[in-house]
Amino acid sequence: MTSAPTPEKDDGAGLGLRLTLPAQVLVLFISLFPLLMQLYISLTDWSPLSGMAWPRAWEFWNTFANYLDLVSDDRLWSALGRTALVMAVCVPLEFGLGLALATLFVDDFPGKRVAYSILIMPMMVVPAVAGYMFFMLFQSGGPVNDILSWFTAEPVSIAWLSDPTLALIAVMAADIWQWTPLMFLILLAGLVGVPDDQIKAATLLGASPVQRFLTIVIPRMKTIIVIALAIRCIEAFKIFDTLYIMTGGGPGVATETISVYIYKITTQDLIWGYVAAIALAILLVLSLLAVWAMRRMAK
Amino acid sequence: MSAIHLQGLVKRFGQFTALKTMDLAIADGEFMALLGPSGCGKSTTMNMIAGMERPSEGRILFGNQDVTGLPMGRRGVGFVFQNYAIFTHMTVRQNLSYGLRMMGRPASEVASRTGTMAEMLGLTALLDRPAAGLSVNILQRLAIGRSAVMEPAIFLLDEPLSNVDAAFRAVMRTELKSLQRQFRQTMVYVTHDQLEAMTMADRIAVMDHGVLQQVGTPLEVYNDPVNTFVARFIGAPGMNLLPGRLLQHAGGLCVDLGPLGISAPLPGPLAAAAASAPAEVIYGFRPEEVQLDPAAPLGLPLTVTERIGARSILHLGEGETSVRAVFQSGEPLPEAGLVRFQPAAAAVRLFDAATGRAIRGV
Amino acid sequence: MAEITFDNVSKRFGATVAVNAASFTVRDNEFFCFFGPPLSGKTTLLRLILGLEVPDEGRILIDGKDVTRTGPAARNIAMVFQNLALFPHMTARDNVRFPLVERGVPAAQITARLEEVAAKLHIGHILHKHPGQLSGGERQRVAIARALVRDPAAYLMDDPISALDARLREEARVELKRMQREAGRTLIYVTHDQEEAMSVADRMAILEQGVIRQIGTPAELYDRPATSYVAQLLGAPVMNLIPPGLFATRPGAALVGVRPEDLRVTPDPAGRAEVTGVEPLGGYTVLTLRAGESQLRVLLRGQPAFAPGQRLHLDAAEERLHHFAADGHRLAG
Repeated sequence: MTSAPTPEKDDGAGLGLRLTLPAQVLVLFISLFPLLMQLYISLTDWSPLSGMAWPRAWEFWNTFANYLDLVSDDRLWSALGRTALVMAVCVPLEFGLGLALATLFVDDFPGKRVAYSILIMPMMVVPAVAGYMFFMLFQSGGPVNDILSWFTAEPVSIAWLSDPTLALIAVMAADIWQWTPLMFLILLAGLVGVPDDQIKAATLLGASPVQRFLTIVIPRMKTIIVIALAIRCIEAFKIFDTLYIMTGGGPGVATETISVYIYKITTQDLIWGYVAAIALAILLVLSLLAVWAMRRMAK
Repeated sequence: MSAIHLQGLVKRFGQFTALKTMDLAIADGEFMALLGPSGCGKSTTMNMIAGMERPSEGRILFGNQDVTGLPMGRRGVGFVFQNYAIFTHMTVRQNLSYGLRMMGRPASEVASRTGTMAEMLGLTALLDRPAAGLSVNILQRLAIGRSAVMEPAIFLLDEPLSNVDAAFRAVMRTELKSLQRQFRQTMVYVTHDQLEAMTMADRIAVMDHGVLQQVGTPLEVYNDPVNTFVARFIGAPGMNLLPGRLLQHAGGLCVDLGPLGISAPLPGPLAAAAASAPAEVIYGFRPEEVQLDPAAPLGLPLTVTERIGARSILHLGEGETSVRAVFQSGEPLPEAGLVRFQPAAAAVRLFDAATGRAIRGV
Repeated sequence: MAEITFDNVSKRFGATVAVNAASFTVRDNEFFCFFGPPLSGKTTLLRLILGLEVPDEGRILIDGKDVTRTGPAARNIAMVFQNLALFPHMTARDNVRFPLVERGVPAAQITARLEEVAAKLHIGHILHKHPGQLSGGERQRVAIARALVRDPAAYLMDDPISALDARLREEARVELKRMQREAGRTLIYVTHDQEEAMSVADRMAILEQGVIRQIGTPAELYDRPATSYVAQLLGAPVMNLIPPGLFATRPGAALVGVRPEDLRVTPDPAGRAEVTGVEPLGGYTVLTLRAGESQLRVLLRGQPAFAPGQRLHLDAAEERLHHFAADGHRLAG
């Protein structure tokens, strides 16, 4: 019998590669080209003000100077710390709230559909608009202060957005308002996916609701929980639009996060070589985080 | 203590009545099969016994204790799900010990009882294996063991063999039956497969359309079905049922079966009972009770012959007037044309054509 | 017209041999059944016939023509899927016409073919209905009509009735058998239910791990199984396979097989067998016996009265015994 390759035998890898090659090239170009361009620029002192197009940035070659600079950039480090703080406060709160709400929504109750629609609405709001809404809410004559004055029975006029600490709290409140619904949706999908039989089996074996939740529901949702946390961590790290509209990073640099900082030095200082270096460094950090999360998930 | 009494049990889902007044007494240590086609109310009944559903009316008693209002976690029943509902994110040991751990039993007790149960079921070697990816017979044993370790007085099984390969089902039936002998608990077994019910159960409760049709030992429901539904549902194939009219003929009460001919005179007691019945009847007899005889009064053309190993099934006639006859494969059988036959006299059953109820000779 | 021949066909997937040197011929108009446990190679055989897989070795012929490397489209073999795959939004008529309309066959020709197939399968009166309005049996007829309308050389069915209730399965298989007789055409059928296989097949092939162990009519396979494996696959309850000693044994036999219905028992207080279990099934009774070290099952007609613990005389006619060598093969004679 012949062992020469026939068209049918080629089916496996060869044909598949040929068919997907154009798409693969495109994807490679789209993702790889900007990355390489950025890497190139990050090794130079190039700026658009230099009057030269970016391919000639090598004339401003400074090797790792940008990377050394960012190590001693206090403003960068405090922005990074602030971003981490937002992440560390918002994500767990969003997770807790989302999980609690999702647990409520697994069972039927009257008005569930309406409540559901209302609940996921914040997610649909354009972040810039959400920022504007919270900007209004936290004005010193705004509704938040009005509500507080009802409780305290005396006029309250806290200047939320002008106080470094309070401004950060207001920003976090906006983020939690906007992104708890996403957490809720993902976790609800996970909860609904826990087989009913398993819950019933555990109940019949005498497990209490709390025990069922801890021994059946949570372990079965592990994958989805990790995904939800990873998505929100990455997103929280990039927090920008809501915040920028509410405080513009101010007062001073008190609410400046990484994204806001990068935005400012990109559009105001125009030191693009340095910006590229920061962006690449952050990409590296985030990638490591993602890999770590994936590893945890695989376990 | 572990007898089950269902008293006037009714279950409605909105407009739909899934179960219409069910009364059933299941004795302590009995293996009771709830048998019927899908939608007959057997699973609803089972779920109410387990406490997963609340009856719309009626009471459920375990022994003398009314458990109607008791939530499902506190009835102390063992339950084996159709798909076994094994906790696949745990090991075999964690599955077996789950109930005891949730009850907060001391670790030493959990370990010893789990170990004993694993030993009994032959799972000891698998204890630290993850439960995901085990074969179906291991899963069945694990599902039973996980409940049995709690020592429930009552065991409920919801079609546990319906996901099992046909070839493997016989093995599983035998295994299940020997497990029941081992544990000696009251067992309620839901199934749509009459063979499972016949081979395993002490008694069978046949259900249809939310109504309990008949309760009896396998042989009682096979030999004396109370109506045409039970007659057709029990047996493989089910009972032959032919519409006919009673008439006096050849010196006795006979049944005119239209195109098939006129039956032989009914045996004495049955004729006596039929004398006061309406003329329109259903004439029934088991496929295993057909006798071939060129001089027999009934005849139908042969359509298909199935030979299934030890048995051969002749399919005679078509539609309303069709008869199946089962023979042992060795016997000489006709290959085509008109087949003349009659049922053995003692095997004839009559049913009221209007109500489907059995007309019984005493 | 279709005669399908496999000449020494093998198919491997990596290290697994899915089909190992299969040689057989499915005759024209035959109801041919592949039977074996899961993963025994049944589905791979179907895919080889359809042209979805190319054999690593051997040849496949349809009506004498080598189609080993011919693609599925050129083979003209139809497939009826397990779930029937009828289009729910189309009437039965449109479902049946679909393959022809797709191929751009002239309207007059479509109508003629449709009528021909509908008459053969007795579905003329339900053609205007949607699948949702049809009974299970009717749906099956429509699905088969759709397979046959383009005049295939043969059609294949992969376990089409396994999803039905036990009761419906019994009716469906008889229906299927009649349908194949009426419609003609070679039908190749795959099932893992031995009762179904024996009921419908003209001839069947028994598979074990990619190897065809025996081909023949169901009666041949049941009465003269070529190996102890085949013997145990067919029949319910399964054949008793016991070490020699209990019955007259031929030299060289390592195992003696006797079907449960071939055992004869009579009450005898001095008998060598003891009843350990009685399963009355109505028309039949299954006894479980212990005789020496062996456990045996006996299938009896009717409802004889036996009780556990009772002792029985046990024997079997010599011509009903099956003798197998140590390697599982049947001893000649």
